Amino acid sequence: MKPRILLIEDDVHIRRFLRASLPTQGYELLEAPDGREGLALAASQPVEVILLDLGLPDLEGIEIIRQVRQWSRVPIIVLSARDQEQEKVITLDAGADDYLTKPFGVGELLARIRVALRRSLQDREGRAETFFEVGKIRVDLEKRRVFRAGEEVHLTPTEYKLLTVLIRHAGKVVTHRQLLKEVWGPSFVDQGAYLRIFVRHLRRKLEDNPARPAVLLTDPGVGYRLRAPED
Amino acid sequence: MDMAEEGKGHPGGTPAGTEVVRPRLAVCLPPSAAAAELVRAAHRRAAALGAEWFALSVETPEQARLAPEGREALLQALELAARLGGQVAQASGVHVGRAILRFAREHRLTALLVGRSRSRGWRRLFHRPLAEYLLRHSGLEVVVLPVPEGEPGPAAARSAFAPSRRLLAEYGLAAAGVALVSAAAGLVSPWLSFTGVVLLYLFAVAVLSATLSRGPALVAAGAGVAAVDFLFVPEYWSFRLAYPDFALTLVVMLTVSLVISGLTARGRHQAKMARYRERQTAALYEMGQKLAAGENPQSLLTQAAQHLEEVFGAKVSVLLPGEEGEPEVAVGPELPEDIREARVARWVYRYGHPAGAGTVTLPEVRALYVPIKASQEPVGVVRLEWPQPPRSTWDLLPLLEALARQLGLALEREKLSRQAREAQLEIEAERLRNTLLSSVSHDLKTPLTVIAGSASTLLENPGLDDATRTELIHTIYDEARRLDRLVHNLLEMSRLQSGRVELNRDWHDLEEVLGSALHQLEARLQGRPLTLDLDPDLPLVKLDALLIERVFINLMDNALKYSPEGQPITLRAFRSPGEVVVEVADAGPGLPPGAEAQVFDKFYQAAPGRHRGVGLGLSICRSIVEIHGGRMEAANRPEGGAVFRFTLPLTEDAPQNGREMPQPEGGPPHEAPYSPY
Repeated sequence: MKPRILLIEDDVHIRRFLRASLPTQGYELLEAPDGREGLALAASQPVEVILLDLGLPDLEGIEIIRQVRQWSRVPIIVLSARDQEQEKVITLDAGADDYLTKPFGVGELLARIRVALRRSLQDREGRAETFFEVGKIRVDLEKRRVFRAGEEVHLTPTEYKLLTVLIRHAGKVVTHRQLLKEVWGPSFVDQGAYLRIFVRHLRRKLEDNPARPAVLLTDPGVGYRLRAPED
Repeated sequence: MDMAEEGKGHPGGTPAGTEVVRPRLAVCLPPSAAAAELVRAAHRRAAALGAEWFALSVETPEQARLAPEGREALLQALELAARLGGQVAQASGVHVGRAILRFAREHRLTALLVGRSRSRGWRRLFHRPLAEYLLRHSGLEVVVLPVPEGEPGPAAARSAFAPSRRLLAEYGLAAAGVALVSAAAGLVSPWLSFTGVVLLYLFAVAVLSATLSRGPALVAAGAGVAAVDFLFVPEYWSFRLAYPDFALTLVVMLTVSLVISGLTARGRHQAKMARYRERQTAALYEMGQKLAAGENPQSLLTQAAQHLEEVFGAKVSVLLPGEEGEPEVAVGPELPEDIREARVARWVYRYGHPAGAGTVTLPEVRALYVPIKASQEPVGVVRLEWPQPPRSTWDLLPLLEALARQLGLALEREKLSRQAREAQLEIEAERLRNTLLSSVSHDLKTPLTVIAGSASTLLENPGLDDATRTELIHTIYDEARRLDRLVHNLLEMSRLQSGRVELNRDWHDLEEVLGSALHQLEARLQGRPLTLDLDPDLPLVKLDALLIERVFINLMDNALKYSPEGQPITLRAFRSPGEVVVEVADAGPGLPPGAEAQVFDKFYQAAPGRHRGVGLGLSICRSIVEIHGGRMEAANRPEGGAVFRFTLPLTEDAPQNGREMPQPEGGPPHEAPYSPY
């Protein structure tokens, strides 16, 4: 069965070009022009991914996310304009899984959808990976060992913890706040400096060129993203 | 000797008649029911002559004792005048006639309108009609309107004859003084000649005159003469004179007494006036000084209110029109709850006429309100509140109004210069908008033309070969990206220009910000040798990552545009005392000589037409760097090419590295999964 995607977007043209591209890539597309209809569709039909536009005429994006999260863990990918960083962070912290900045290419969108589907599948099956591999990096999650191009890299406990949190969310953005909370604890969520310094250390150990990272990517103003294995 | 109903004044006519084209009239309003009629009559007359006209009320010490009905009538007449197009005005002074004359001179009037005198019968002997006084002294046309001035109300009549307590005490003192000197003269009379007695009385009158007001002094003089007649002139204990030559003595004594008391009283009055004027001059001078020192409206108001408080010993508020055009307190204590206070303030602001405590207009409120007049309209109101409301304001008002006018002119001057500045800014903004529009419309249209052209080619030519199709599609995609960048720069610029940018500052790693910028430029960096020379020990810098990323992107974009393909671009970041320095250097032709500062101006383009863009990028960079407290500069490199350099200030508390970082809080380590699901 084709994975079903629910698109909640008020702009006709964006709906049109997604309608032209998504079904050819093996997805079934449901469309809703506003938040209420979107919520109704999400409640009445099983969907695998929700694409949600921020800036709908009737409901705030965050309101829709909260409502959906009351009964479903379906991945939500937010579509937003470039100057809405703050809103992106808020929606991500409220339970959205990922975001895509307009204007975006279909390639980027498909990659995000693939990540979301894979993650929700893993989530449902409760299957824990023992190995994580991307680029030259290979992490043995059972033995807690990290290799770069076959050579073992020694990480401090905090660096390793940061890396595993990113691995768990591989392919999707993790906000600064989420990272600080998961790695350091809830009382450190405002200590952005810690995160920046540990990311710098981690990049120096894992990346060929830390100034042009290939694995541990920056999402400016939002958070970090570990490249997904299949990208 | 009733004046002719429309008696002409001096045949000489108006002194200023040759220069004044439009006649200017003033109608002098009495505090009685007749005032409204006088206003109507004056309005008709002014309309017939096409004249400018004033409705003039006169504030004198007497007015303080007026009956409420009279005040109400006057107030209504003044409002009527304002409605009929007259200007409401006020003169104040001790003497009604002189106050009117001064007003006429200051306002270059051509004619004065008054009502018919109310004096009848024997009172006419002592009460010269106002019209006659004005006619004699003004040299203007004086018109007596066929409206009787009317009688003042009964309360006024009563109170007019009720002397103040202080005056009563002075009369008592005069009587006691005369009685005392009589007793003394009686005691020493056996050893004193009659001449000695008279001199003793004259001495007493002189001493009393020096301390008492005019009335009690005159009473002392008269009583002294009467006492001499009664006690020391035969026949004794009677006013009858035994010998006629005593009459001459008494007359001489009376004359000398009156002259003494008159002279001393006048001397004292003049000394008092001189002190009063000196205080006025000093107050005005000081106000001028303070207002000249005020830099902004708020400091002007504060200075003025403070000065008025010092001069008048009152609590002072300054009211200026608020958003709804009604006066609101700008400086000083708020108005009391009393709804009438605000009403008086509005009235004063609208009609430009003092009112409130101590005046004839709306005196029942606690404070005195005086308009702040500039060259034309009232621009605000001053409110003065004393612990005890003043009984009359005729002596305060001239100075108060002069000070208020000084403030008004200062405010107006300030406002005019602000308007001039704003107009200048407006012109510049307008010019900028025009440049922006023409430049933006060109730069938006070019990519749009390419997109529309490529898309229509694809639509209309189904038979195109695959390579061409792919190329066209790529073109559309690239041009759309270009449009996106342009729009983003425009939005960013307007956001920065509006001054509403909120910096979202946090500690950031410059390397990371730069990396993120390079990531976004990846496609355009293909085939460009890029040298990164970043100090590995750079501390974290407090900055808005998105904005600084924009600086990197724009500088890189600039370097890519202005240096030939394949030429290297070098990025350096290093520490220098108190700041971090970042450089983006290219190996292109460099900057035109002298353009090092100009390149940051909006819409500046080194080679117009050769490159695409609106010339906003560098200007945005400079704005961003400056709001971070850094500097931005451009220079030519000695080895060729241009270098753009910016600095970001470092603070003492910048986190250096991770050594002193706290370890994660206790609790479950990575098995404690955060999961949004």
